Amino acid sequence: MSDEKKTFDFAPKTLGAGFIHKKDLVLAIILVAFGAFMYYEAGKFPEAPAILGDTLNADVFPKMLITILFILVAIIPFEFKLTPAKIAKIDKDRGDKTPPITWISILLLLTIVSFAEFLGAVVTMFITCLLLPLVWGERNYIAVAIYSVVFPGFVYLLFNKLLGLYFNPGILELLK
Amino acid sequence: MEDVIRGFVLLMEVQNLLLIFGGVLVGVLVGALPGLSSPMAIALLMPFTISLDPVASISMMAALYCAGTFGGSITAILINAPGAPPAVATALDGYQMAKNGEPGRALGLAAVSSVLGGIFAIVIFLFATPLLADIALKFGPVEYFGLSVFALSMLAAMSGKSSIRNLVAGALGVFVSTIGVHLATGVERYDFDIQELTEGIKFVPVLIGLFAMSELLAQSKTLNNAVERMSAKALRLPTIAELKSLKGTILRSSGLGTFIGILPAEGSTVAAMMGYNEAKRFSKTPEKFGTGCAEGIVGPEAANNAAAGGAMVPTLALGIPGSGTTALILAALVMHGFRPGPYLITETPHLVYAIFGAMLFANFAFLGIGLVGARFFSYVTFIPKRFLWPSVFVFSLIGSYAYSSAIFDVWVMLLSGIIGYFALRNGFSPAPFVMGLILGKMVEETFTQSMVIYESNFMNFFDSGVFIFFVILTVISLSSPFWPQIRAKFKPKTVE
Repeated sequence: MSDEKKTFDFAPKTLGAGFIHKKDLVLAIILVAFGAFMYYEAGKFPEAPAILGDTLNADVFPKMLITILFILVAIIPFEFKLTPAKIAKIDKDRGDKTPPITWISILLLLTIVSFAEFLGAVVTMFITCLLLPLVWGERNYIAVAIYSVVFPGFVYLLFNKLLGLYFNPGILELLK
Repeated sequence: MEDVIRGFVLLMEVQNLLLIFGGVLVGVLVGALPGLSSPMAIALLMPFTISLDPVASISMMAALYCAGTFGGSITAILINAPGAPPAVATALDGYQMAKNGEPGRALGLAAVSSVLGGIFAIVIFLFATPLLADIALKFGPVEYFGLSVFALSMLAAMSGKSSIRNLVAGALGVFVSTIGVHLATGVERYDFDIQELTEGIKFVPVLIGLFAMSELLAQSKTLNNAVERMSAKALRLPTIAELKSLKGTILRSSGLGTFIGILPAEGSTVAAMMGYNEAKRFSKTPEKFGTGCAEGIVGPEAANNAAAGGAMVPTLALGIPGSGTTALILAALVMHGFRPGPYLITETPHLVYAIFGAMLFANFAFLGIGLVGARFFSYVTFIPKRFLWPSVFVFSLIGSYAYSSAIFDVWVMLLSGIIGYFALRNGFSPAPFVMGLILGKMVEETFTQSMVIYESNFMNFFDSGVFIFFVILTVISLSSPFWPQIRAKFKPKTVE
């Protein structure tokens, strides 16, 4: 028996789906909703002058693409029937919930970027190098302290002083 | 000939040689570090090269690409953790040979076969690129439209978790390329009154987000993974007699790898797997595969490095990326103001030959680096992830901001990374999306031009024989993932 056969029943059993793959159905619905919204938006594009003809309208190509996308997306919930081994592999990868550390990392990165313009490049780098290792469980505080000073310093010297890249001073400008 | 000399002279400038050597070092380093990859390194480097000489910048990226493919084999052999996907097949026999007490020999075989595979592909590249460009110069918009659709259809056959998902990602990439002003009518599309979106989504922040940020988030859950390492002081070059006995495998894999590399969208990973399989199929001792045999190392290594050279052919001659990494090199060409496609070799031939020279140089440089530094590169895997990935984030932050000094691009980078992470979890790879994003403009432009030429009647496209040829190829490529199932269905059942 081939590997494909061996894993054929994996997806339906684990996901409680006999005919349709539930997770992939949700995925397909999200993609269809996105496509439908973009299709609707494309309908609002102004028309090209008549002299250019219908096919040159700005909405033609995006609408064509979205239609192709709909066709492809429609296959996704049934893909586990076509290539069971491959979808079983994907199910294995997404089987575990997104770990809390990943959510925390996302939140931290979003916060850092939200304040990046205000803080400026150097302070943002320093905060990143200080907080990310700590959040990720590094308990060698001396190493973290050295790293959070030395690495941003190295990046600043290399890119700003040597390569002449513009670094937004941000909060540091207030200190001048 | 004059252009070849000009390209080489350009390379010989000390600053350019140093940049290329730097590219090789970074390539071997990121290749050796699991999680880091050549596309990621190129995406991160791209914005910093704006102020550098364009020819040197592109050559450095090409050198990094070659070296990154080899770098992955170091950790594949020494710690059974392929630093890059193309080295997965190398680990099968490489790690076993290392475990059998010959890590230096395994590294030596990998390095020499990589160099030979790379040189084989570069020679093909040197001759095939101008020839292919000559043919492509005769193409009109409709033929180019057919070619770019064929290239996108190859995403179905591209290595990845799912053909359908690859195609969906490619279509989404093309869709994202439609954001911004429509050139034919001047209409602003999908800008949602955000001024930055009228110029369209820039490549660089998206590339950094997809390749670096999504991987950072994926790595956040593997912070405590430990690795076991074989000690190897340096690599040991194979003897002439050993090379002679392996020449058939090396030649076959190099040819196979170059061919796979030339196919749009296919890359080194597929080449390496096929190189391994073919080496086993032609071997007199196939039963030794998986136990640490030399053919099991040189087969995939010659193939994956040859594929890297092969992938440059359609990238430079047609403007169609041969792999995910060459899609990034194509983006870098656009960023530096070059015109990818057949005009590249007619307008800036010295650039093409400089890239050729850089790849040749890279092949010898990583052999040298491997000879003296294999031990060091196996140690880099011990850099704690808790320090490595924050550094990647800092580079991502600076790189996406440096591109146009706009915080909007940093947001694009971060959001691309977050979306990319969840997409990755659901079986979508970043490479097909990037291919779509980069080819998108070409697909739409050539489609629009063709519609104008053929009086808005799509069926008239079939007046072109070349277009029909590409349509046939597209159908073959789209159906290829289902061939194994179809073959299995019609295969007569055997009674054991």
